[in-house]
Amino acid sequence: MNQKLAISTDSHQHSGDLRKMSYSGLYRRFILLTLICSVLPLLLVGWVIYLNYSKFASSRMVDSFQRRVEYNRRIVELFLKERSSDLQLVAFTHSVDYLGEHSNLKRVFDILNRQDAYFMDLGLMNEHGKHVAYVGPYDLMEFDYSVTFWFKELQAKGVYVSDMFMGYRKTPHFIIAIRWSDGGKNWILRATIDTEFLASLIRNIKIGESGEVFMLNGEGVYQTNPQFGGKIMEKSPFPMQTFDRESGVQVLEARQIGIDQIYPSQVIGYAWLKEPQWVLVVKQDYAEAFRDVNHANTSALIFLHVSILAILIVSFITTQHMIKAIKKRDEEAEQLSRQLMQTSKLASLGELAAGVAHEINNPLAIILTENQIIRDVSEDYPDVNSEFKAEMFDSLTQIDDQVQRCNHITHNLLRFARRSEAVTEMVDLNACLQEVVELLEKRGKSSGVEFVTDLQKDLPRVLTDPSQFQQVFVNLAANAIDAHDGKPYGTIRVSTRVNDKNRGVEIRIADTGSGMPREILDKIFDPFFTTKPVGRGTGLGLSISYNIIKELGGVISVQSEVGKGTEFKIFLPFRSSEDLRKSSEDIHERN
Amino acid sequence: MKEIEMRSARVLLVDDEVTFTVNMSKILSRRGYDVTAVNDGESAIRTIEDEEYDVVVLDLRMPGMDGMATLKVMKRKRPLLEVIILTGHGSVESGILGMHIGAFDYAMKPIQIGELQEKINQAFERKLMREGKGP
Repeated sequence: MNQKLAISTDSHQHSGDLRKMSYSGLYRRFILLTLICSVLPLLLVGWVIYLNYSKFASSRMVDSFQRRVEYNRRIVELFLKERSSDLQLVAFTHSVDYLGEHSNLKRVFDILNRQDAYFMDLGLMNEHGKHVAYVGPYDLMEFDYSVTFWFKELQAKGVYVSDMFMGYRKTPHFIIAIRWSDGGKNWILRATIDTEFLASLIRNIKIGESGEVFMLNGEGVYQTNPQFGGKIMEKSPFPMQTFDRESGVQVLEARQIGIDQIYPSQVIGYAWLKEPQWVLVVKQDYAEAFRDVNHANTSALIFLHVSILAILIVSFITTQHMIKAIKKRDEEAEQLSRQLMQTSKLASLGELAAGVAHEINNPLAIILTENQIIRDVSEDYPDVNSEFKAEMFDSLTQIDDQVQRCNHITHNLLRFARRSEAVTEMVDLNACLQEVVELLEKRGKSSGVEFVTDLQKDLPRVLTDPSQFQQVFVNLAANAIDAHDGKPYGTIRVSTRVNDKNRGVEIRIADTGSGMPREILDKIFDPFFTTKPVGRGTGLGLSISYNIIKELGGVISVQSEVGKGTEFKIFLPFRSSEDLRKSSEDIHERN
Repeated sequence: MKEIEMRSARVLLVDDEVTFTVNMSKILSRRGYDVTAVNDGESAIRTIEDEEYDVVVLDLRMPGMDGMATLKVMKRKRPLLEVIILTGHGSVESGILGMHIGAFDYAMKPIQIGELQEKINQAFERKLMREGKGP
């Protein structure tokens, strides 16, 4: 029987493990469902919006660069055109003779520079590149310009704007020159433009902190002083193939820009001037240009991910909560089913025990009658050997004793199985307990165990069977004393309380004994389960107690901690005699 | 009372265990009872219809007609007949139930002869008294 019980307990544990696994599976499934149903769409929408917005923002950025470049180009072109026009106006409105006079040229130069001192110097040359008149800070009257690189080009074009160059003066400058004919000869009016003016036109345009505007010539040489890294007349680090169209906006990675200069990635807008062949460049650090966009994007992404995190956390918590609730319900259901199993196990075992007892009682009865017959017959033969007779009577007595012993066992079995009508009356449980305590106190004392009673005064009487109740209490108290084996002293605390919530009385028997581990605790109400050595316990005491309390309409439960002790709790409900009759009728019908 | 003691009690044993009835018959006869034994409920009913008995020792659990049913019929047919229920079931409950139906007493198997003898005597005395008081 014990083996059978052990197996069933194993399978219990096994199903518990399975259930634990299914809980984590359930947990995972819930989380996955939440991920699929809420987080995934949110992430998808978030990222789509993010990408679209990035695209939109960068196209806006490109547009704004384009506009800025366009605008600057127009300014520069306008400036150069105006200066050319200035010279042309001078050439066409004054005769060469007039301009050839130094004082006249000086007057014209002053008029030109009246508003803004654009021109650094002004010179009139003949077709051989020799100055006829010159106004300016340098003494250039003797220079032969016919050998300069621009002279020939001017002969072809009529108007010429040079790149920045050092020329004779050893400072960067550029010139505007026009050629016209007067009196059958070609004349050249040449002016040097203050580089600063051109530079100031575009330098004043501030773009963020890292933005700047500058110009390069066709060879990639700075035509204006850049604000960051580099100087006028120096080669810029930007590869010229960047500016392969008329105008455009590009992003240059850091590694595409010169190795010697540590440039971050740059956004570059450019546009070629028509004349001269300069490219106007607006550039800004990529990071700064897209800072606002990135900022907006980052905030959106942070918001997105924070909300996802929130959803996750909430779903984790709710799922955990739910699983806990399910687990609790399952545990309750399991406990209920365990109780039901316990009950049905006891019931079927009870029937079996009753059957066995009955079947054994019949042969026992016959043995007794046979015994009696032998005794009777032996009286008919008084002359039998007295020694034999004595021996025989000894045996007969022994048979009698053994039958009685068997009888005792079967009666115990039957008591375990019995469903006798409880003799019920209104019982003072306190008095009942007190009686038993007095009875057992002596036995307890010899084991060093002291009884402590904590009985509620004016405890209402309970309709129950006092002797059965006492039997239960004796069982529990005796066990409690035995639990102190191996401990020099201890206490057994007996308490009674009215349990208002359940409308009954709660009796607690707590000992300070050795306690029991869970595996044992699960089985203590099983019949024939005992931890006591062979011959000392039948393993029926608690089983019977369980049945009795059940039949009295109560509940018995146990709590134990190894090494600290065990507490039994009995709950007996207040019942009317009506209820009792009903339940006993049920029992009759069952029989 | 002396008159009573002169007549020996007529006892009917009803039990499905043949060995038990045979043995018990021997033992009780030896103690001066007038014993008849049958082994099922139906025969028991027939027997009490045919003959007059004082005390019936009735086993509760028998195949066919069981002890309770037999008891009911007996009590209807012979209200004055005293019945002692003998049960191997050991349950007080069934004994008490039997007494409600009209059994005089109940005893549990295995029973000591002395105890059974005592119960039979008591039942017999009551039978005689009721006969005396009755019509």
